[in-house]
Amino acid sequence: MNGIGAVEMDEAIRLKHRVEQFLFLEARLLDANAWDEWLRLFTPTGMYWVPRMRGQQDARTQVSLFHEDALLRSVRARRLANHRNWSQQPPTHGARTIGNVSVTDPGPGTIVVRSSFQMLEWRADNPRAFGGSYTHTLREDPAAAGSFRIEMKRVDLVNCDAIHENLQVFL
Amino acid sequence: MLYTNEQLADMVKPDKVHRAVYVDPGIFDLEMERIYGRVWVYVGHESQIPQTGDYVTSRIGRQDVILVRAADGKPHVLYNRCPHKGAQIVPPGDGHVDRHFRCPYHAWTFRLHGPMLSAPLRAGYEGTAFDPADEAFWLRRVARVASYRGFVFASLSEGGDDLVDFLGGAKAAIDNLCDRSPVGEVEVAGGVFRVWQNSNWKIFYENLHDTMHAAVTHESSVVAARDEYEASMAGQDMPFVLHIMAGNGEPYQFWEKLAVHAFDHGHGYMEGIFDPGGTDRDPTSRAHHESLAAAVGEARAREILGMNLHNTIIYGSGSPHTVFQQFRVIRPVAVDRTMVEIITFRLKGAPEAVFERAVTYANTINSPSSNVMPDDVELYTRVQKGNRLDGGDWVSMHRYCGTDRDIPGGKVAVNGTSELPIRNQFAAWKALMTEGGTGCGEAA
Repeated sequence: MNGIGAVEMDEAIRLKHRVEQFLFLEARLLDANAWDEWLRLFTPTGMYWVPRMRGQQDARTQVSLFHEDALLRSVRARRLANHRNWSQQPPTHGARTIGNVSVTDPGPGTIVVRSSFQMLEWRADNPRAFGGSYTHTLREDPAAAGSFRIEMKRVDLVNCDAIHENLQVFL
Repeated sequence: MLYTNEQLADMVKPDKVHRAVYVDPGIFDLEMERIYGRVWVYVGHESQIPQTGDYVTSRIGRQDVILVRAADGKPHVLYNRCPHKGAQIVPPGDGHVDRHFRCPYHAWTFRLHGPMLSAPLRAGYEGTAFDPADEAFWLRRVARVASYRGFVFASLSEGGDDLVDFLGGAKAAIDNLCDRSPVGEVEVAGGVFRVWQNSNWKIFYENLHDTMHAAVTHESSVVAARDEYEASMAGQDMPFVLHIMAGNGEPYQFWEKLAVHAFDHGHGYMEGIFDPGGTDRDPTSRAHHESLAAAVGEARAREILGMNLHNTIIYGSGSPHTVFQQFRVIRPVAVDRTMVEIITFRLKGAPEAVFERAVTYANTINSPSSNVMPDDVELYTRVQKGNRLDGGDWVSMHRYCGTDRDIPGGKVAVNGTSELPIRNQFAAWKALMTEGGTGCGEAA
C-alpha cells in the first residue's frame, strides 16, 4: 500500500469487504448443501476446476479432479439430490473456513481473488480434512448491485496428488 | 486361520463362493503368495521410461518394485531394496538416474539392471564374504519381465506360461488399443488418478462385467443425466458427457444382447456399451477414422475401430478400456483395501481430440469425483461389510450357470447378463490357490 492515497485505500478496503462477504456466502451455501443456490452464483460460462496436478495449466489434455461447466455442475447437483444416490446415504457434510483473502487483480469488471481454505468433511463416521487455496475470478453481478458472479473457481488442494476416496460434493 | 488346499477348493463351487474369500486376512495372505506371487502383473508402460536411466516405481502384490530402462535399452524390474541395510533405493514416483542407482543411506551403487558397482572404503571388506560379483549384493531382479507392445508385465516366480500365453484371448484387447493408433503405438499421458476402495480386490473385478448392476446401482447418475438433457437440450444430440452417464440406464434387453467373453487365467472382455458417435455424426470419431485409414487402409481401419469393447479384464492386473484408451490398474493392499490407478493413453499419430475425449471420459466416469463410480464404491463397501456377518456363508454366481459355451482358450456367455465372468475368475482363483495350477479350466 506504498504511496496509496486515502481514497484508494478506502476503495480497496470496501472491495475486499464485498469480496469477503461473497466468499463467506458461498461457503455458507456449500456448508448447507444448498447446491442449487450455489449453482446460481456462477456466470453462464463459469467453470469449477479442481486440478489434479500442482500448478496445472491445462484441463484438456491433463486429467482433473473436477472440471465442470454449468452442465456438469447441474448434473452433480441433481445426483446429490436423487433419493437413490447410494453413496450419499448418509450424506456428506462439510464446514469450510476461509482466510487470507487477497484481491490479486482488481481489473475493470473482473477481479481475481485468492484465499486459503480449510474444510472438515464428515460422512458415515469418517472425517476428512481438505485444505488449499481458492482462486476466484469474479464479475460484478448485474442483477445484484454490490455482489458478484463466479467466472472461474479454481481449488488447489494441498493433497491434489493423493490417493483419494470418493470426492462427491463441491469443495 | 490356515487352510488346506481341500478347504480352499471347497470355498469355490460351480455356482457359489464362500464369503471367507473376501474377508479373511489369511486368505488375502495366501493370494499374495499364490496369485500375485505367480501371475504376470502389469507394472508400467515403456513410454514412461523413454531414456536409459528413467525409472518409475510400481507394485506387484506386496512387493515395491522399480521399472527402469537399463543400458541395454530394455525395461528391467528390480525390487526397491538396497541389499546392504534394506533401504528403499528410490522414493515413490518416477525419476531419472545417471548411469547407476546410488543408495541414499551409505552410497552403495548399482548398475541400472541391478549388479553392484561399488561401496565406499572397500578396504573395510577385505577378508570378508562381501563380493560385488555375488548376486546377494545386487539389487534383486524380479524373476521374469516381458513387454508386449510397450505394456510391461512382470512375474515374481520363475516358472509358468510366457506372457503371451498368459494373456491368451485378452491379448486382442491390448492389440486393439494399440492398433487404434495410426502408428500402432500408445503412450501414457495426461496424468494418473489414484483412488481407494475399502473393499476386497475381487469385488471390483467381478463388477467389471456385471451387467445386472448398472441400471440399479447407477440410477442416480442415469436419472441426473437424463433429466439434465431434457431440461436443457431436449431434441439435440445428447452430448458425450451425458451419454456416458446415461448409458448405464439401458433396459435389461440391451444388456442381455451384449457379447461376453471369458478367457483362461481369469481374463475376459465384453462388448462396448457406448457408441462414441458414428463416423458420420461425430467429428472426433470421423477424424480418428480418417487418420487411421490413411495409415492402414479403409478396410483395416473399419475392422480396428469396429472392435468396440467395454471393460477388458486382465486378471491380477486390472482393466484396460480400448475405446477410451484407459487402463485401470487394480492393486490389492489389504483384505478390505484396494488401490486403483486410472491411467490414460494417447494414441500416437491420432488427432488430439481423440486424446481429449479420453481425458473427458476419465474425468467424468473414473475420477474420484465421478458421478458414477461413488455408487459402485459404496456398494463394494457394503458387500465387504455384509460378508463379515453370519447372515449366510455363500455368495451367489448362479446366473446362467451351466450354459457357458466353450471357445478356443475360454468360454462365451449365452446371455449378456450371465455371471460367466465371475465363475471364470474363480476358476482361475481356485486353480492358483490350490494346485499350483495355471488358472485354466472349470471350477469343479
